[in-house]
Amino acid sequence: MAKTMASLKKVNIGRGDWRLWLTKARYLIFGKEADKGLLFRLFIYLVLIDTAYIYLNPIIYMVTTMVKDASDLLDPSVNWVPRTIYTGVLQDAWVKLKYPSAFTLSMIIATSVAVLQTVSCAVAGYAFARLEFPFKKFWMFCLILTFVVPLQVIILPNLIFASTLGIMKTYIPIIIPAILGHGLKGSLFVIIYRQFFSTQPKELEEAARVDGASAFKIFFKVMLPLAKPAILVVFLFSFVWTWNDYYLPMMYLNGAKEVPLSMGISQIQAMIDQQAKDFGPSIFDEPLKMATSFLIILPPLVLYMFAQRWFVEGVERTGLVE
Amino acid sequence: MSEVVRKSEVVVRKRRLKASVIRKLEGSTFIAPWVIGFLVFMVFPLGYSFYMSFHQVRILATGIEIKPKGLDYYKYILFENANLLYNQLIPFLRQALLMIPVILVFSLLVAIMLNQKFAGRSLFRSIFFLPVIFTTGQVVREFMNQGEGDLGFIERYNITSLVSQNLNSAWSKPIVAIMGSFVLILWYSGVQILIFLAGRQTISNSVYEAARIDGASPWDVFWKITLPGMMPFILLNMIYTTVDLFTFPTNPILTQVNTSNYGQSSALAWIYFAIIFVFLGIVFFLYTRVQKAYDRTSYGV
Repeated sequence: MAKTMASLKKVNIGRGDWRLWLTKARYLIFGKEADKGLLFRLFIYLVLIDTAYIYLNPIIYMVTTMVKDASDLLDPSVNWVPRTIYTGVLQDAWVKLKYPSAFTLSMIIATSVAVLQTVSCAVAGYAFARLEFPFKKFWMFCLILTFVVPLQVIILPNLIFASTLGIMKTYIPIIIPAILGHGLKGSLFVIIYRQFFSTQPKELEEAARVDGASAFKIFFKVMLPLAKPAILVVFLFSFVWTWNDYYLPMMYLNGAKEVPLSMGISQIQAMIDQQAKDFGPSIFDEPLKMATSFLIILPPLVLYMFAQRWFVEGVERTGLVE
Repeated sequence: MSEVVRKSEVVVRKRRLKASVIRKLEGSTFIAPWVIGFLVFMVFPLGYSFYMSFHQVRILATGIEIKPKGLDYYKYILFENANLLYNQLIPFLRQALLMIPVILVFSLLVAIMLNQKFAGRSLFRSIFFLPVIFTTGQVVREFMNQGEGDLGFIERYNITSLVSQNLNSAWSKPIVAIMGSFVLILWYSGVQILIFLAGRQTISNSVYEAARIDGASPWDVFWKITLPGMMPFILLNMIYTTVDLFTFPTNPILTQVNTSNYGQSSALAWIYFAIIFVFLGIVFFLYTRVQKAYDRTSYGV
């Protein structure tokens, strides 16, 4: 009797162990809650890595293609890793783009637009978020209208306007709207600032107001220093979008001697077409285009690499959206 | 005594009035640059291009020559020549109708995934924001031209022919096109992911904790908490995506707006603008419908 009891107990314990082990395994694989288990983790990583691969693939392709030399390009077994690193194409692209001057021009346009928009849109955004002025609702509607109106509806009058003022083929017409909080996607930046400022606690301003500060002082001394995440997001967006934009330069700088980098690809394309007409297509056409792309996106990429840590945080904290 | 009180009341009221006037003045000075910009860079060009759309405009060395044309350009674009508008618009609209939901669903899923806590999250985040940097330029088009835009398995398993056999050509074409440039769609969803990610932060964690304590499954949590909480951002993203798609410089219709014929280009731009407005109106209408239906189901039960 005692013997059987003991053996039963043993079995019981054994079964208990086995069950415990099973639950542990279950917890490990499926998790205590469905989103904590190994399986779910694996799934997330799988999806994210796949998508990340899709995002990175063109960039890797770009970098590897542009450093391939002729034999690597012709050899189908060389896909991702070139056997030798050949920088001739890169140099060629550098010369053809007139990189130093085009880079300077792009830098001037993008930096000035970004700085101006960062400040002027902040002023407007703050006014929309906190201050009182007549017909506020109406102006708010106008802000949204500005966001929706396609650039192409207003580009032609602006062109005529610019040519009567004699500022065609310069970058002035691209920069001027930024002074007043407009320009490329200016309305979006005003909206971002508005959302950011309206999430800030009102007590700060009230305290400052009680202390007798004017709206200007409050804005520049209290609110703007608080708005660092929003400033970063707007500056980065503005810089990168202006850097990449080729529509406005194409319109205003058509036929100008010096063009910004963003127009580089169409320039190179035209050169390649011309060459193909004269001598037939070259195997270096594609590497050349890739090298051009690389040179064009390198500066914003570097900027992003430095800023991304704050950028990602900034996006979360701006409350970009209500 | 009472007079003194009244006097002081008047003084206070005056001061208050003054304070409110000062506030309005301050506010006005803050908004003034933007309003001036709006008038100069928005109202004036809008009005002028509207005016131009009814006139033949030629830029001569001596000045601008303007001849009234009436509604001719509109008639020409809308009824006489399909080349300018319809041939490009209809495929484009179809593609946009398919692209918008794909972009929205994809970016919502990615944003929710990126919001989970796991090792290497910041790395993934910085990769997923990369498209924000690139997609505005010509570079991304270059990538697509190199054939980086398609997913390998679509050709391998012959999905294209499967689709085109089972659907009529009007809809199978855009579907095939979308599958062909699926990567492109993913590239366009950078800002949308960002907006969703920022929006997800607005739903407080305590709601999720409460749901967890009540034993809700993640599936339920997604449908009953995350999705309703994200509704405003879905609308915002819909509007953003629509505007972005419609005003993208590579858009086939917008490339027709050029300096060769100012009047006709202006008319085309205005027609196109009207279409965008209608499209946004439809988006808004659908959204309110869905939102209402959603409210009814979630509160009715």
